[in-house]
Amino acid sequence: MTMTMAMALLSSSSPTTAHLSTLSSPSSSKPHLTHKPYLIVSLPITKSKRTHLSISPIIRATSDNGAGIVTTTPTVPSPEEKPLETPQSSEEEAPKLVNKQGAVGATQPVVEEEELAPKPVRKFQDPKWVNGTWDLKQFQKDGRTDWDAVIDAEARRRKWLETYPESTSNEEPVVFDTSIIPWWAWIKRFHLPEAELLNGRAAMIGFFMAYFVDSLTGLGLVDQMSNFFCKTLLFVAVLGVLFIRKNEDVENLKKLLEETTFYDKQWQATWQDESSSTKKD
Amino acid sequence: MASSMTFKPFTGLRQTTSLTPESSTLFNKLHSTTTLTTPKIRAALTSPKIAGRKLRVAVIGGGPAGGSAAETLAKGGVETFLIERKLDNCKPCGGAIPLCMVGEFDLPLDIIDRKVTRMKMISPSNVAVDIGQTLKPHEYIGMVRREVLDAYLRERAAGAGATVINGLFLKMELPEAPEAPYKLHYTAYDAKSGAAGQKKTLEVDAVIGADGANSRVAKSISAGDYEYAIAFQERIRIPDSKMQYYENLAEMYVGDDVSPDFYGWVFPKCDHVAVGTGTVTHKSDIKKFQLATRIRAMDKIEGGKIIRVEAHPIPEHPRPRRVLDRVALVGDAAGYVTKCSGEGIYFAAKSGRMCAEAIVEGSGNGSRMVDESDLRRYLEKWDKKYWPTYKVLDVLQKVFYRSNPAREAFVEMCADEYVQKMTFDSYLYKTVAPGNPLDDLRLAIRTVGSLVRAYGLRREMEKIEA
Repeated sequence: MTMTMAMALLSSSSPTTAHLSTLSSPSSSKPHLTHKPYLIVSLPITKSKRTHLSISPIIRATSDNGAGIVTTTPTVPSPEEKPLETPQSSEEEAPKLVNKQGAVGATQPVVEEEELAPKPVRKFQDPKWVNGTWDLKQFQKDGRTDWDAVIDAEARRRKWLETYPESTSNEEPVVFDTSIIPWWAWIKRFHLPEAELLNGRAAMIGFFMAYFVDSLTGLGLVDQMSNFFCKTLLFVAVLGVLFIRKNEDVENLKKLLEETTFYDKQWQATWQDESSSTKKD
Repeated sequence: MASSMTFKPFTGLRQTTSLTPESSTLFNKLHSTTTLTTPKIRAALTSPKIAGRKLRVAVIGGGPAGGSAAETLAKGGVETFLIERKLDNCKPCGGAIPLCMVGEFDLPLDIIDRKVTRMKMISPSNVAVDIGQTLKPHEYIGMVRREVLDAYLRERAAGAGATVINGLFLKMELPEAPEAPYKLHYTAYDAKSGAAGQKKTLEVDAVIGADGANSRVAKSISAGDYEYAIAFQERIRIPDSKMQYYENLAEMYVGDDVSPDFYGWVFPKCDHVAVGTGTVTHKSDIKKFQLATRIRAMDKIEGGKIIRVEAHPIPEHPRPRRVLDRVALVGDAAGYVTKCSGEGIYFAAKSGRMCAEAIVEGSGNGSRMVDESDLRRYLEKWDKKYWPTYKVLDVLQKVFYRSNPAREAFVEMCADEYVQKMTFDSYLYKTVAPGNPLDDLRLAIRTVGSLVRAYGLRREMEKIEA
């Protein structure tokens, strides 16, 4: 429904955007502002990318044509994607792609001379990132390597690259391997807090279940545990806690199970057919 | 190898009319299927002998599948018609063939433009891993031009006795009676008469549909649809100095920016590179993904000229129905493209050959009518032989192409020598050979470790804003 709304809006706004594209300044911002909310909803943007885009409108305003602004590319991340995501600019792009075949591969992708060329070089740079890997000597703390800082640094680097993908280069290849960070650093950082949480929850639930069953049946904890049914329940509870930690996990597990056999079913489909056709003969 | 084994029974069959004893022993040696309730040659015994003529089979589509099917049929003594709509078609394709294909199909080495012996896998965060150190000197991935390969296979089929028809298959009339022929309608193109084609019909006893992803034969038998990926590719001619880098190297880029469920690639061709990407789920964003692929490879393709832009659908899984009566689908028309790597040329050629072999065997070298059970034997043999390969690649795709952390782990695992050896062995020879169990266990632990680390890093990434 939002898509059809968006389509209607986009088609109705195209005459205005065509007009706007000839302007270089975002002076006619009123239609732009009213369009914004609908178009944000309709474009397929992932949530996480919306948080950090305060810088992009500034870049857009200085360097590009009106078409970019009106069609809410300010809310869409990574400048490289801009020309190709919006309908209006895609029409502009198509002829450009065809005409500028020669130079397209040469400079910044697609619309070279215009907005993308003066785009700031968003190469990932960090004093601790040396020769395509993290220089562990710079992560020393109290005479030992601060692995938490390395993990943080790598997370930042990956986040940066996700937002601003950059070219690989033969001169500075990336050779960082996460396995240089020892296993206990990972466990301490990621596993232990969650384990603590789950164990705490399990303990609380366990205590109250034991109390509840005791009040109903009069069996103490030791007697409860010697019963086979109770042991089974306990086993189920442990597995449940391991695999189902959030409400979504139940659905996810069901989908995963279906996924594992889906391909098999697609291959078997022609054999299902055989049994029905041989009945015909 | 496999090819010599499958051809043995034919020579035996040609000599005698008492086909049963030697055929059955040879067939039993070939595949020990226990699920079959009926022996393989039942059809040859119970089908009526065609009086006065050979079995007529039409192969629709003259690509690798059609070409190898037609050749096998013609060699087996069947009257073969190969209908191809464009004899000089440059099918948009990655163009990679495994080493075993050269041997199994006796391909001359001059068909291969380039021998790729190294590959670079590049993760979303640009970690680059070189694979190929475990390859022996004689091992390589062959890069071919489809127009060259297809033409060669067709010519060989023609040489074996098949009639190659330049025409566009329009539709097929299904037979009314069990022994009645299929009536094919096609537009014949004649080089002499020029543009407009002539409508013609052809009556055959069996049809092999090798007409690719948009198969009309499949539509005629209501084979059903499949999910497909769009593969988009730009051929870029880059300066010689940059071409040197891609001398025998192919690159694979993974990442959400490049494709949400597939990969982007830079494959070297004869004198240019093909830069492309593909996707199943986000087809409308394909241009965006292509742009991202170009960005990632920018340093290495800068200064290049785009000489051709092409796209084609790639099936993701087999069609619900691959055989109906005396019509069988092979190759892309059947949907025999692997997941994870998207490889289809070898499987097309092999399935064409297998289907043709089943027809030749079932018809006793063209002397008897075939029926659906013969064609189902091809399906059975195919599924049995290649199911493990397809399943393993499906699992790999599901595990490692899920998300960026999974892709990071994937590239990390590619650095492991055992992984490289297993990967190349299974790719080049098309066998899923179980390795040393201890190494497998070590590999499993390392994989879990990689995945855990990558997902842990992603959790940290989610906490970061801007």
